[in-house]
Amino acid sequence: MPELRRDPVIGRWVIIATERARRPDQFSGGEPPKEELAPGEKCPFCEGNESMTPPEIYALRKPGTKPNTPGWDVRVIPSIAPLLTIDADLDRRGHGMYDLMNSRGAHEIVIDTPRHQRESEVSHEQLVKGMHVILDRIIDLEKDPRIKYALIFKNYGKAAGGGHLKHSRAQIIGTPVNLMRVKQELAGAKRYFDYKERCIYCDIIKQETALGKRVIAESQHFIAITPYASRFPFETWVLPKEHSCDIYKVDRNKVADCGSLLKLVFGKLRKVIGDFPYNLISHAAPFRRDIEKKAYWGTIEHDYHWHFEILPILTRVAGFEWGSGFYINPLPPEDACASLQKAQVS
Amino acid sequence: MNELRRDPITGRWIIVLLGKIPTVTDFKVEPYTKNAEKCPFCWGNEAQTPPEIIAHRKSGPPNSPGWTTRVVPNKFPALRIEGALNKEGMGVFDVMNGVGAHEVIIDTPEHYKDFADLTSSEAEEVVWAYVARSLDLRGDKRFKYILIFKNFGKVAGASLEHPHSQLIALPIVPKRVLEEIEGAAKYYEYKERCVFCDMLREEIEEKDRIIYEDANCIGFCPYVSRFPYEVWILPKKHNSDFAGIPRDCVPNFARAMRDCLARIKALLQDPPYNFIIHTSPINGHERNDYHWHVEIMPKLAKVAGFEWGSGFYINPVPPHIAAKNLLSVKLDVK
Repeated sequence: MPELRRDPVIGRWVIIATERARRPDQFSGGEPPKEELAPGEKCPFCEGNESMTPPEIYALRKPGTKPNTPGWDVRVIPSIAPLLTIDADLDRRGHGMYDLMNSRGAHEIVIDTPRHQRESEVSHEQLVKGMHVILDRIIDLEKDPRIKYALIFKNYGKAAGGGHLKHSRAQIIGTPVNLMRVKQELAGAKRYFDYKERCIYCDIIKQETALGKRVIAESQHFIAITPYASRFPFETWVLPKEHSCDIYKVDRNKVADCGSLLKLVFGKLRKVIGDFPYNLISHAAPFRRDIEKKAYWGTIEHDYHWHFEILPILTRVAGFEWGSGFYINPLPPEDACASLQKAQVS
Repeated sequence: MNELRRDPITGRWIIVLLGKIPTVTDFKVEPYTKNAEKCPFCWGNEAQTPPEIIAHRKSGPPNSPGWTTRVVPNKFPALRIEGALNKEGMGVFDVMNGVGAHEVIIDTPEHYKDFADLTSSEAEEVVWAYVARSLDLRGDKRFKYILIFKNFGKVAGASLEHPHSQLIALPIVPKRVLEEIEGAAKYYEYKERCVFCDMLREEIEEKDRIIYEDANCIGFCPYVSRFPYEVWILPKKHNSDFAGIPRDCVPNFARAMRDCLARIKALLQDPPYNFIIHTSPINGHERNDYHWHVEIMPKLAKVAGFEWGSGFYINPVPPHIAAKNLLSVKLDVK
């Protein structure tokens, strides 16, 4: 009998399809993406090709080097095809019964290595440098009152919407509106808090730690789990053990610890499902500035808990999922977790 | 400069890219590999499926050739019909057993014919099968919602090539449906008008996103399309419940579906797609604030991290351009 599981935060139901269940080894991320640089084509994200991108917004550079020249470790540039642009005023208006606005916001690319490497090839030290730069950028975006939310994400592999260049990079989008999916999650967490006066994510961490069967790995300050109501095979969440709603306020001494857990988890995932396409997405509280917002999000610092979600793209979302928001997951998260626990990475 | 548009029903924002608009050939459609061997949905292979629930037949006894539309239980159901509904808690988590119905509607015995290729009367027959199954399953007290949808092509999630639609009866009202209903209810509360009726009027007035219109139905690329070439079909007369579709509206609705799908098929070279019938939950009364409709979503662009994280969609083809291109197709239908 298949099992229906409910995500305790957002209220989304997931069908764990025991009838069509597959074993963890029956999933594969497919072939590693081929390097698709055409002859003569240069990667705009590599050191030495700085002139191919829009001028940098920020870079971690060796002392004495000039902007938009070699000598950087991590470089942040505006997106070449930005979804949202910073240099305009927000204009909201109606169109008949509809609402629209211009695309005021930020869309930045964080190139986390100067070398032409895919993420799995980037060293821990380099990865952590990239994470610090991302945090610096979010702190900066928070200062712009027109930006309500900052989303950090990585798309890797074609099936996950990643570009054809393998050069490792993350993206940051600052949006002028609060996002529906974020709102739902915040509302769910708030509801739980109103009722129990506890953070639901802290409760999840406690319960998962006690059970153990969905904990992939832990570091000193972070924990990686395959969530109870996983939508996708091998879906993984990485949460800070200490309660906090804002990613950009994370204690900088803990970033390296988070980086090592992420590296370990990705290593284990690659061991089991190969060089898999994925989306990595940050979930954090929106920026809170004006008084009404503070009133509305009055308990957010207690009820919400930032985290990362890693969504491997191994199955296809079909009509049923689109129509119902109800996911069918052919791999129980306990089985995914068991195989990830066993996977040895050097 | 791109444009952000807000869906008046759910409050979801989308980004319409107003830069370089991709042409039809910029979308790479996964080639359709043909494999007609041993198809359980073809005539003569009826024994490979569970026994049929209903069928429209020209000849022959049940579970033999001679049918034109056939409904069978799904062999690998996501939910099962047997058993009582059982809900329980496990610490912070909730769990429920997978009670429900999962049926397959085989649109046609012809392996390479999709909805887009059906004649008007064949399409009508499929719509009748949807209605008949909905009416039957709503009698079961365990079910709260009936979802009818189609996955066509591998990328859209179809595991079998032979065209078929699916029906799932659920013990709960799914989240996405609730969101839509709540959004429509909020609009109604404020304006005392159905948001979909308003949308219909707006689309008819603006004209430039309409691709189909007859006395009963309208097909258009909605102002807030999440996907390139997304098409919605709405009955003109307010009605919240698909299963309550008036008899005389069925032929026009079937034709609207077929014509819109035929335009998509011809223009985009047989792309994978999903369509979903959005209707109100089973509760016996007609709602003033909700309006049943069909959403057709060709699978051309990949949904990436940003969309997942934000529920914010990026559409590279402005809907009025999509409509213009779809209308430019010369239809060859019967």
